[in-house]
Amino acid sequence: MEIRLNRVDYVQVGVTSQKTMRLLPALGKRATQKVAIADHDGILTCFGMKKGEAVPVFKTLPGQKITRMDLGGAVGTPQEKIFVCSGSQVRGFTKKGKQFLTFEANLTETINAMHVSGADLFVCASYIYNHYCDCKDQDYYLSGDKINDITCLTSEKLTRLVPILACQDRVLRVLQGSELAYDFEVPGPPSVLELVNNFCTGDEILYGTTDGKIGLVQIGEHSAATKWEIDNDKKKGGILCIDTYDIIGDGVNDILVGRDDGTVEVYGFDSNSEPTLRFEHVLTESVTSIQGGCVGKESYDEVLTATYTGWVTGLTTEPQMAEAGPGDEVRMSKETQSKVEALRAEMEQLQVKVMQGREQYQQISQSSTAVSVVPIFSVNDKFTLCQDDASYSLTLEVQTAIDNLLLQSDVPIDLLDVDKNSAVVSFSECDSEQPNGNFLLATYRCQANTTRLELKIRSIEGQYGTLQAYITPRLQPKTCQVRQYQIKPLSLHQRTHSIDQERPMNRLSLVGQFSFAEIHSWVVFCLPEVPEKTPAGEGITFYFHNTFLGTQLEATYCKGEGHFRSDNISTISILSDVLSKEATKKKINLNISYDINDDSVSHTLKMIHPKLEYQLLLARKVQLIDALKELQVHEGNADFLIPEYRKILDESANLLEEYKKQPAHLERLYGMITDLFIDKFKFKGQNVKTKVSSLLEILDNYDLNSLLDFFQ
Amino acid sequence: MLVPIFTLKLNHKINPRMVAIGKFDGVHPCLTAATQAGKVFIHNPHTRGQRPAAHRLSQSTQDSDISLLNINQAVTCLTAGMLGPNTTGDTLLVGSQTNLLAYDVHDNADIFYREVTDGANAIVLGKLGDIPTPLAIIGGNCALQGFDYEGNDHFWTVTGDNVRSLVLCDFTGDGKNELLVGSEDFDIRVFKEDELVSEMTENETVTSLCHMHDSRFGYALANGTVGVYDRTARYWRIKSKNHAMSIHAFDLNADGVVELITGWSNGKIDARSDRTGEVIFKDNLSSSVAGVVEGDYRLDGQKQLICTSVEGEVRGYLPASKDLKGNLMDSSAEQDLIRELSQRRQNLLLELRNYEENAKGVSEANSGMGVIPANTQLQTALSVRPATEAQKAHVELCISTPNETIIRAVLIFAEGIFEGESHVVHPSSQNLSGCVRVPIVPPKDIPVDLHIKAFVGGKTSTQFHVFEITRQLPRFSLYDITVDASAAPSTGCVTFSINDRPQRVVMWLNQNFLLPEGVDSPEVTFNPLRGGGLLSISMTSNGQITLRTDDIDLAGDLVQSLATFLGIEDLSAEADFPGYFEELRSTLTEVDEFHSVHQKLTAAMADHSNYIRNMLVQAEDARLMGDITTMKKRYRELYDLNRDLVNEYKIRSNNHNALLACLKSVNQAIQRAGRLRVGKPKNQVISACRDAIKSNNVTALFRIMRAGTASS
Repeated sequence: MEIRLNRVDYVQVGVTSQKTMRLLPALGKRATQKVAIADHDGILTCFGMKKGEAVPVFKTLPGQKITRMDLGGAVGTPQEKIFVCSGSQVRGFTKKGKQFLTFEANLTETINAMHVSGADLFVCASYIYNHYCDCKDQDYYLSGDKINDITCLTSEKLTRLVPILACQDRVLRVLQGSELAYDFEVPGPPSVLELVNNFCTGDEILYGTTDGKIGLVQIGEHSAATKWEIDNDKKKGGILCIDTYDIIGDGVNDILVGRDDGTVEVYGFDSNSEPTLRFEHVLTESVTSIQGGCVGKESYDEVLTATYTGWVTGLTTEPQMAEAGPGDEVRMSKETQSKVEALRAEMEQLQVKVMQGREQYQQISQSSTAVSVVPIFSVNDKFTLCQDDASYSLTLEVQTAIDNLLLQSDVPIDLLDVDKNSAVVSFSECDSEQPNGNFLLATYRCQANTTRLELKIRSIEGQYGTLQAYITPRLQPKTCQVRQYQIKPLSLHQRTHSIDQERPMNRLSLVGQFSFAEIHSWVVFCLPEVPEKTPAGEGITFYFHNTFLGTQLEATYCKGEGHFRSDNISTISILSDVLSKEATKKKINLNISYDINDDSVSHTLKMIHPKLEYQLLLARKVQLIDALKELQVHEGNADFLIPEYRKILDESANLLEEYKKQPAHLERLYGMITDLFIDKFKFKGQNVKTKVSSLLEILDNYDLNSLLDFFQ
Repeated sequence: MLVPIFTLKLNHKINPRMVAIGKFDGVHPCLTAATQAGKVFIHNPHTRGQRPAAHRLSQSTQDSDISLLNINQAVTCLTAGMLGPNTTGDTLLVGSQTNLLAYDVHDNADIFYREVTDGANAIVLGKLGDIPTPLAIIGGNCALQGFDYEGNDHFWTVTGDNVRSLVLCDFTGDGKNELLVGSEDFDIRVFKEDELVSEMTENETVTSLCHMHDSRFGYALANGTVGVYDRTARYWRIKSKNHAMSIHAFDLNADGVVELITGWSNGKIDARSDRTGEVIFKDNLSSSVAGVVEGDYRLDGQKQLICTSVEGEVRGYLPASKDLKGNLMDSSAEQDLIRELSQRRQNLLLELRNYEENAKGVSEANSGMGVIPANTQLQTALSVRPATEAQKAHVELCISTPNETIIRAVLIFAEGIFEGESHVVHPSSQNLSGCVRVPIVPPKDIPVDLHIKAFVGGKTSTQFHVFEITRQLPRFSLYDITVDASAAPSTGCVTFSINDRPQRVVMWLNQNFLLPEGVDSPEVTFNPLRGGGLLSISMTSNGQITLRTDDIDLAGDLVQSLATFLGIEDLSAEADFPGYFEELRSTLTEVDEFHSVHQKLTAAMADHSNYIRNMLVQAEDARLMGDITTMKKRYRELYDLNRDLVNEYKIRSNNHNALLACLKSVNQAIQRAGRLRVGKPKNQVISACRDAIKSNNVTALFRIMRAGTASS
């Protein structure tokens, strides 16, 4: 069952945060709904559509940036009170725009997630969760990692409220009062939670992750269960917002999804209640909010979205008229015409004002005492490790079109080509030697109207430093903003919640006069996805796994002591180098001891073996494709070939695609095996750099046993 | 939305840029393309039936619509069209590195097969100037050659570098075709028969040219640029990160004006308006585009645009029907208009906000915002720096601020002088200052616009002001006027007379050289920093100018630049470059040697192939008679012989490459001798040189190069 949705743009407001647009409940059946949207200028706008034109209901005055919005109201009445949070303050407005609540949450940090349910208000700052009932403090919880979103089960069946936190360390934390009831692991860092509007059960929630996965979880009293999960095979963007609404019209609520690469998706359910993709549309910028409803025209359902730069766009079921009138010009509808005229008039006025502004700015530049300041423009950036290909993806989004981007790095990294990215890249020569120490200087000159850029970066473990991006938008007076991203020493590691204890492990132990906070800061420096805040308690254990090789790392530390266990000897070597360097910087004496398990090396090699063998085979097959094809053309058919070759020919398209997907995979594996070799003998006090060439020879004629022998 | 009217999947790869459509039987258009293994395939879906297989033509067993032509050499270019006066249909022309084949597909017979020593990189078929018969014009290593249907060459001339693209169009508007040549030295040259009438310099190898209408033509460069010229003026150009594989003119929106259709390396096809470059249609093939052609492939009287990919995918598009109103893309025009207007409004609002905030002053400014004094202005200076021990000779661009602000980074966008399109200087954070020195080494003598973007702010700023300045680098910038008096003057010189005042020459000097103080007499001596002897320019009172340099290229550049500046149309000159002439003399002897070696090797090869035939017969005889020992012996001998042949082949190909290099330098010498003159004398020199080479008269060749004429 296919659906066709047509895109209609309604209004544009300022830059918006995640989940800051909602539809107010409809007054009657089949009536259009009003839209409430809040932006970074602190303005809450509420508007409705009349004859294709946006008619404002109310608009508040500018103020501090609004980070979330929710709707609420007394239980049993329409949920039409609007709550917004900015800084540590929560404000409530009626649907007419009258402010009836100002509540200071007394948090030191800004609120970044909020949920309203009846008289209950739930707010979260980065690590802190607070529950208020009738503005009175009820519960409090300190989370182990950043809280991205919150929701709360409020079914009549349940005896109590069940708040659920989506935390950066890949878990959903289910609370009971001020205590953690249990936590539930999800396949990626969850970024958004949404209740399923399903009154019969009322204990199901949808989550979306920053790496683009969606799942449905049933929350029980003491445990939770995953009902289904949608993987992100096509490498689409991370999820920013989810809603449920029956847009297809089959009586079952569909799932509406908005992603940070601008993709809007509608998932319907087939007869087996499995979610299937029914509709997809790509907007050019992050979709920050999404909701199903009826806005543009009565009795036509639509999916309403808000984007990062503040566009409110509907994807409506209303068919668009092909207005082919007489004559050659495309005839515009009257509404559009008046809209265009109004816009043109407004622009003319603005032009005049801008000209005045420019003149004044020119005049100021004559004075010797005046200074020139340009306000900081908002940049929406994301720097994440992709699990599948062990590379980092950097996305940058700006309110206006980007003119150019300068990337600078003081560590060797590779920039990979991204298909979606249309900017013209140019690499500049750089002197990696001092004094400038640049390993990468690249400029991206963007095509007109590019507000979002996506880049892919491959790092090497053990090489660490900073990547800087200078973003210049097309906006007068021209300014550029620099953003910094840390490339950590163990950049390819990712947090997990358990490791395989059976593997042969090497151990690195540190003893010295350092505080818990100090060693935690060193771990933060070395490994990604560790919360910056020192964890509560005496000590802590974190688990990681290497996204490229699949090896693991366990870090246990407390005041004065630290233990790191890994089956990969290179990981231990990198850690020991970096940690001792960091300690020396702080003038702390460290007592470092190793416990090297010789079996671990052959274990790691055996782990690499299937990957390496597969890659070698793939490379060899790909090499043969062209020659085989030529033979096929020459002989007219491929029947005379041995079955193996015929198979290669049959699968050639797949093989090529696979080969293209993972460029330099083999080189990376070779590099890691070489590191392993050097590190193994480093711990024995031998320098084997001279033997590396013979190792590479063995790798070229790869055989597991000869490699294992060489390592002995 | 425009959709393809047919799609085909041919099971053959297609070599990029080697696709043509020919009506070989005079009626049915057939898609013809070069494929792997030195073959050409002809797709003829119109006459399905038995066709005889003989000579070169053999039926492909996979697909009965496809016939394969065996060329047995790597095909380098291909076209089809009417060549002879009495043929039934089109003639197929196939060029390789050494030969040109004209082939009648219908009669399955060679029309002619000519050896072309300069190779055939590009081919075009049509009428040129006043030559009565249509010519197949091929472009090779620095040479252009035109053959008629009998294989006689009616046209020959030389050009600056290897030819990569050719097109015939009426450039001057005189009703006769001129030949446009795009070559590897980044120039597009226009030949009116063998007279060079115009020259446009681009910044990369010109890979494709196509005629649009009247005097307008499209071009594509190796760096991803496509654009449109009207005569010598560029209308528009765009640059993409992908490469343009093929360009073609076709009226896709049926408005009576052709659009520029571009097929890109990522499989994208777009149609751009010839006036503005605006995209009016785009589509995607699954792999890189190989060629874009047009023809009436459905035999219904309408021309289709036919796009082919390297994997053998073919799509045909009909021009849009009237009711699409020129709107070929899937979006609604009015929505786009409103969106664009709103976007512009938003930009103006943001700019206005910038001015307002700026007027408010530093009230809420923090150090990150990059406050700078309003009267900050950047100073730039260009100067010539001779080589020192640490650095090569370069032009130094010094950018400085007048106050305590620092320059965080400098981006220079310029064409043709950096590896990419930009150069970045990013000092490390310890070395920040208000002055940045950028060494620039222009690889060629071309005038360049440097678009400088400097990020100016405070040491700890995260946002910087972007200063944008454009400076021009004069044509002859790497020439230092401060000359060491002891250096010996150059032996080479060129002398010519002009009817102009010395002041005008002084003006030319000041505009085209980077002189710190300027000069006031036309008697100057420079030290070329790229190496080579001194360059001295002198002028007598009767207007005779003598340029002394050992570099014949430089002398040519100077003559051309001066002539353009002074508006001289015809200029003859006397020249003597003893060093270069000596080199050329030895090259000419080498050519003779290579030729004789080539002949010897060919004879040896013929002998060997006879042996092979004999041995094979003997070996098979032995096998049939059951004499295994003899058979083995024969086959062993055969194997040895085969190895010898392979070795000989290697020698032959080395010899051939060396020969090609020599021929190229001979062609270049003629071109260089021509460049010392302007207008008619130039053409005379080129044709006289050519005659001298044809008659193998080396003394005459040098006399012409010196004196400019053959006589005396």
